[in-house]
Amino acid sequence: MAAEPKPRPLLEHWKFTVDDLLRMDAAGLFDQDHRVELIDGELIRMHPITPAHAGHVMRLNNRVLGERVREQALLSVQNPIQLRPRGQPQPDVMVLRRRSDFYTTSHVTAADVMLLIEVADSSLAYDRETKGAIYAQAGIADYWIVNLVDSQIIVLRQPVDGSYTSVQTLVHGDVVQPLAFPDIVISVSEILA
Amino acid sequence: MAVESTQQLEQAPAERWRFTVDDFYRMGEVGILPPEARVELIDGEVIKMAPIGSHHNGSVASLDERLRELLGRRVSISIQGPLELERHWNPQPDVLILKRRDDYYRNANPTAADVLLLIEVADTTLPYDRDTKGPRYARAGVVEYWIADLTGARLLVHRDPRDGAYQDVQILTREDTAQLLMFPEIAIAVADILG
Repeated sequence: MAAEPKPRPLLEHWKFTVDDLLRMDAAGLFDQDHRVELIDGELIRMHPITPAHAGHVMRLNNRVLGERVREQALLSVQNPIQLRPRGQPQPDVMVLRRRSDFYTTSHVTAADVMLLIEVADSSLAYDRETKGAIYAQAGIADYWIVNLVDSQIIVLRQPVDGSYTSVQTLVHGDVVQPLAFPDIVISVSEILA
Repeated sequence: MAVESTQQLEQAPAERWRFTVDDFYRMGEVGILPPEARVELIDGEVIKMAPIGSHHNGSVASLDERLRELLGRRVSISIQGPLELERHWNPQPDVLILKRRDDYYRNANPTAADVLLLIEVADTTLPYDRDTKGPRYARAGVVEYWIADLTGARLLVHRDPRDGAYQDVQILTREDTAQLLMFPEIAIAVADILG
């Protein structure tokens, strides 16, 4: 039998843009309960949210961050951030610069983000690798992954050329300070509780 | 007899959104997929088709001519035209030999039941044509599927689709002659197909 030809990447996906996503929605492509993210030009169906995931997001929003930064920033939960041209994810929690219009006139962009958090139960590799790359590429300076499986918080900082050059893994007993609010000290246990 | 292995589409850690065939056409109509886009809908995912090299293109043209000589007006031949198989799958095979229809399928795209023979010409795409498309053509009930493997200089003849796989796979070389399942009186030299 002859040698197999050198395999090419089997499937090269068509890359969609943020504008395509808007046009798809306008064309009625998504049913009413759609939860999709645009990640590096590909449409990703978002996982169903488990109670553990939802609860940790609520705790971050209402207590951990809500009680500390509400006066100085805006908290945005599972809303989109536009990373043109090919990204529109919906991070679990974003701490945003205050804007008097509450971002009603345009989507959030990377420059508005002071802290971005994803809560990972089944999606750790995806949050770490795929999303880590696009958030770093966009210049998100402070990205935390709340890893529910291993009870850790991964703090990713110093984005350079599409990857985070500073990665810290924090566990129960440690504390974390948001880059944008160095005077705020949060215990890891409070987030993971 | 080797039963070809089923290779799943590359699994993303997260699940990709699956478009339907209707979505796919709608994206063409509203310009999300521009007219010049060479894409197929495979398992609900929009996949770029490999650029067509001259060897591939010439092989398809020569197959087209040879099959027309042999089959004449008994069939309709569609070159790189659409085939509607499933809700989420709308491939454009290189050659489709179809049941003759007076409207030339103007009113509806052909489906698996219309296909007498499906041929893909593979220069760089053999694993994709064999492992990704093969099981899907089998699942849809395409009765006969040939892959003209230009690089390996052979013709892979797939028949007897059952349980999501072709149960009968023959590998023919340049010295062999291929017969069409649906027209057993017609024989084509594999060397003519491979060029």
